[in-house]
Amino acid sequence: MPPKASFTREDGLYHSFCGLVSVGWLYQKIKDSFFLILGTHTCAHLLQNTLGVMIFARPRFAVSLLEEGDLSSAQPHIADQIEEIKREHRPSVIFLLSSCTPEVMKVEFEGLAHSVSTPEVPVLFVPASGLDYTFAQSEDSVLQALLPFCPVAPPDDRRVVFLGSVNDAIADDFALEAARLGIPVAGFLPANHFHELPPIGPGTVIAPLQPFLPRVANQLVNERECRVLSSLFPFGPDGCRAFWEDLAAEFGLQVDLSQREAQAWERIKPHTDLLRGKKVFFAADTLLELPLARFLRAAGAEVLECSTPYINRRFHHRELKALEGVRLVEQANFERQLRSIAEEQPDLVISNIITANPLIGRGVVAKWGTEFIFSPIHGWAGVNTLASLCTRALRRHAQLDPLGLDPVWTAGVMPSIPGAVIPLMRS
Amino acid sequence: MRLAYWMYEGTAHHGVGRIANSMRGVHAVFHAPQGDDYVTTIFTMLERTPGFPAMTTSVVSGTDLARGTIRLPETLRQVEASKRPDVIVVVASCSTILLQENLEIAVRSSGVGCEVMVFDANPYRMAETRAADGLFTELVRRYAAPQALTPRPSVNILGPSSLGFHARHDLIALRRMLRVLGVDINVVAPWGAAIDDLRRLPAAWVTIAPYRELGRLAAEHLQAQFGVPALCEAPIGVQPTLRWLNALVEQLNQVGARAAGPAFAPVTLPPLTAFSLDGMSAPSNVPWFARTADMESFSGKTAFVFGDATHTVGVVKFLADELGMPIVGAGTYLLKEADWVREQLQGYVADEQFLATDEFQQVAARLADLRPELVCGTQMERHTARRYDLNCMVIAPPTHIENHLLAYRPFLGFDGADVIADEVYTTCTLGMEKHLIDLFGDAGLEEAETAPVGNGALTPPVERAEPVAHAAPARASANGGAVAVAPPPVQTVITPVWTHEAEAMLKKVPFFVRGRVRANVEKYARERGHAEITADVLLSAKEALGA
Repeated sequence: MPPKASFTREDGLYHSFCGLVSVGWLYQKIKDSFFLILGTHTCAHLLQNTLGVMIFARPRFAVSLLEEGDLSSAQPHIADQIEEIKREHRPSVIFLLSSCTPEVMKVEFEGLAHSVSTPEVPVLFVPASGLDYTFAQSEDSVLQALLPFCPVAPPDDRRVVFLGSVNDAIADDFALEAARLGIPVAGFLPANHFHELPPIGPGTVIAPLQPFLPRVANQLVNERECRVLSSLFPFGPDGCRAFWEDLAAEFGLQVDLSQREAQAWERIKPHTDLLRGKKVFFAADTLLELPLARFLRAAGAEVLECSTPYINRRFHHRELKALEGVRLVEQANFERQLRSIAEEQPDLVISNIITANPLIGRGVVAKWGTEFIFSPIHGWAGVNTLASLCTRALRRHAQLDPLGLDPVWTAGVMPSIPGAVIPLMRS
Repeated sequence: MRLAYWMYEGTAHHGVGRIANSMRGVHAVFHAPQGDDYVTTIFTMLERTPGFPAMTTSVVSGTDLARGTIRLPETLRQVEASKRPDVIVVVASCSTILLQENLEIAVRSSGVGCEVMVFDANPYRMAETRAADGLFTELVRRYAAPQALTPRPSVNILGPSSLGFHARHDLIALRRMLRVLGVDINVVAPWGAAIDDLRRLPAAWVTIAPYRELGRLAAEHLQAQFGVPALCEAPIGVQPTLRWLNALVEQLNQVGARAAGPAFAPVTLPPLTAFSLDGMSAPSNVPWFARTADMESFSGKTAFVFGDATHTVGVVKFLADELGMPIVGAGTYLLKEADWVREQLQGYVADEQFLATDEFQQVAARLADLRPELVCGTQMERHTARRYDLNCMVIAPPTHIENHLLAYRPFLGFDGADVIADEVYTTCTLGMEKHLIDLFGDAGLEEAETAPVGNGALTPPVERAEPVAHAAPARASANGGAVAVAPPPVQTVITPVWTHEAEAMLKKVPFFVRGRVRANVEKYARERGHAEITADVLLSAKEALGA
């Protein structure tokens, strides 16, 4: 049974995005895919503003736009649009994503996807609505939709499948590292192409690379009877050592990576020197918070609070254990966090793209945490990137001229608070 | 239903957030799923706000819906406790509006002490611009109170707003000109205004509302209700600024004469040098610049302008009247303003050159067809222009972070005229340089050309986008007759093949116009059914196209 990690749950009034944002990396990861969002003007505006998407190369995602006249129809007609997408983009698979409005309209998505799906180009329903899914969570939904298309591996196929989308360079690193340790690799879920999905069966060991995929992990156990590695996630020297040692053990291999870990810590010593004793506060929403906080704690920082949208006792079991004693918060209330920050005076706040500038404006050293999602921080090769991302805000803050918080330097920037920002930090 | 890849206008709740974040003591609460909070990012990242934008999402989750919980009252209490606003504006989202909840009841049950206004911004009937203008007008209607005029001549400036295009800079430009005139500013709104400032609006002698998109309706209300004359022109360009100043002086003097009688000392226009930064130079360098020999080779360049209403109209007139550039087309994505824009551009843009559409693919198709030497557009046109190797400057929202620069870059007034002219000058390929390159080839400027030979590397996007572009005119025509000209019927979208000889000739065309020449010749060949572009076809094409 998973341990009873203690965390509090607040009311969820924090700043974040909905699950649709994971389209931003998934469409690039799965190169022959198309992501069709059944949604509204809001969904389109969200995507173009949060992903910085400027249609550089005909993006393989679009919004099937529900307009006023469409609200009364029981089931939207998307067949023509599916044809248009097939003609224009020639995808191997189309993901049909739900959003808030059709959820409220009670659109029957499974049936809708089925009605336009063909054996040649399957259309797969992906629940992603902001009513139920936040940020990276909908990658979990996409992988669940892909699972039926993974070939069934025979029971004697004892290989590892890495779970979670990572870029090609990181995937290469993991494949090489596995080969070095003598761990046989069946592939990655998701793969770069729809027809390259790895075989998965009772002999498969699933090694989760991303901490936001608890449901597909569960589904893999239930439907394919495979084993899901329970370890730390492969972030930081401590995470990588645990991950690889535990994964090797799944294959009956005893490896001792203590030296490897020590070397990795040594390589990032300039960063850990900076982090040691620093008070860090997590007010972020990427769902990477638990492993990041665990790494920072191992690096010598004092984690005052780690909040994250969702905690899964089973999937995050090892991370939770490593975080014992840290204040963990699910569904945080942001105003309460601001009060805690004012009270506890952290040296570094890991927040997100939405709140970083206002926090900096109030004297906080804030790291835009969304960047962790888009940076190669996995595995041994990612250790340095991870450590330097964590210290970048601290280093920059130390380097820039100390202007203090004289409101003269922000006067006129923000009309609703002309030069009257109340600092959170005591000087 | 249609397939949307990108939108010009933001959503209604974004418009509401822009007004809330412009004003002091006004806070927006979105009764919406968590994802709708993304709009906050647009303020914190594009405007780089040093404080938290004045908006909060009162999260509605699937569980809430299942349980029938409404968290709005609790959110309102939290917002009141932490922000202490004078007014909270509540809006539903595109999804929660379908629930048909009575938000007034939820608001009343919250027991908050401040005023709470449930604003009906139906996201299926209005987008960003209309929601912002609608809310602002509503606030002005609600709070503007009858009162005596200020003792000295004064104006209201309505329209500058959070995330308004170059709004901060325009405001500085307006303030500078008013200071030179010796006219006080009564209230600027919504930028930086509190509810009390809205109450004081009728004390002004005149209201300035330079933007068609925001502030004009409020100005008209002040005129109708309180007799404050409205000056709704946009002073974009030197001549419009002079006319605007004269009109303002005249309006102020009429009010002064009426209010103070013969004792009133009229406002007068000082020597124009007083409007320059040092008080002793020309107020703008555009009139001389436009007449220099340098500009002679420049002014024949063709321009295409597309954007919101105010900037499209202002920039077309500026380019045509003050820089002497031929306008080959113009249009707007603000469909409700399309008639006004077309009317304003009578004499500048023929009906078939006018484009009213909110689908960027149509604008892209037009650009591919026209290949103008200067594109003035939004961030999207800049993007399209890059794809077709055209020169582009951004003159209207939506913007990109690279349009939010630090230096003083107004569009209004004399200062604005200089800024726009500089932008045109540095965006277009230069005059003399172009002659030399035309004469002698690439002048060593050429990068190794990597485009594959013979398959029209620059053109595939247009051709593949054509089904979309063809379907569109019907939609636009239902919309007030603003028909996009359909490109000439093309039987098949085969790109003609270039022979080696023709390709070698094409190489001698200066590299920065080569893309345009290539596309024009291919178009010429297609129209005449040539499957192959030989040296002969290229020659006749050059002759026919005058290139």
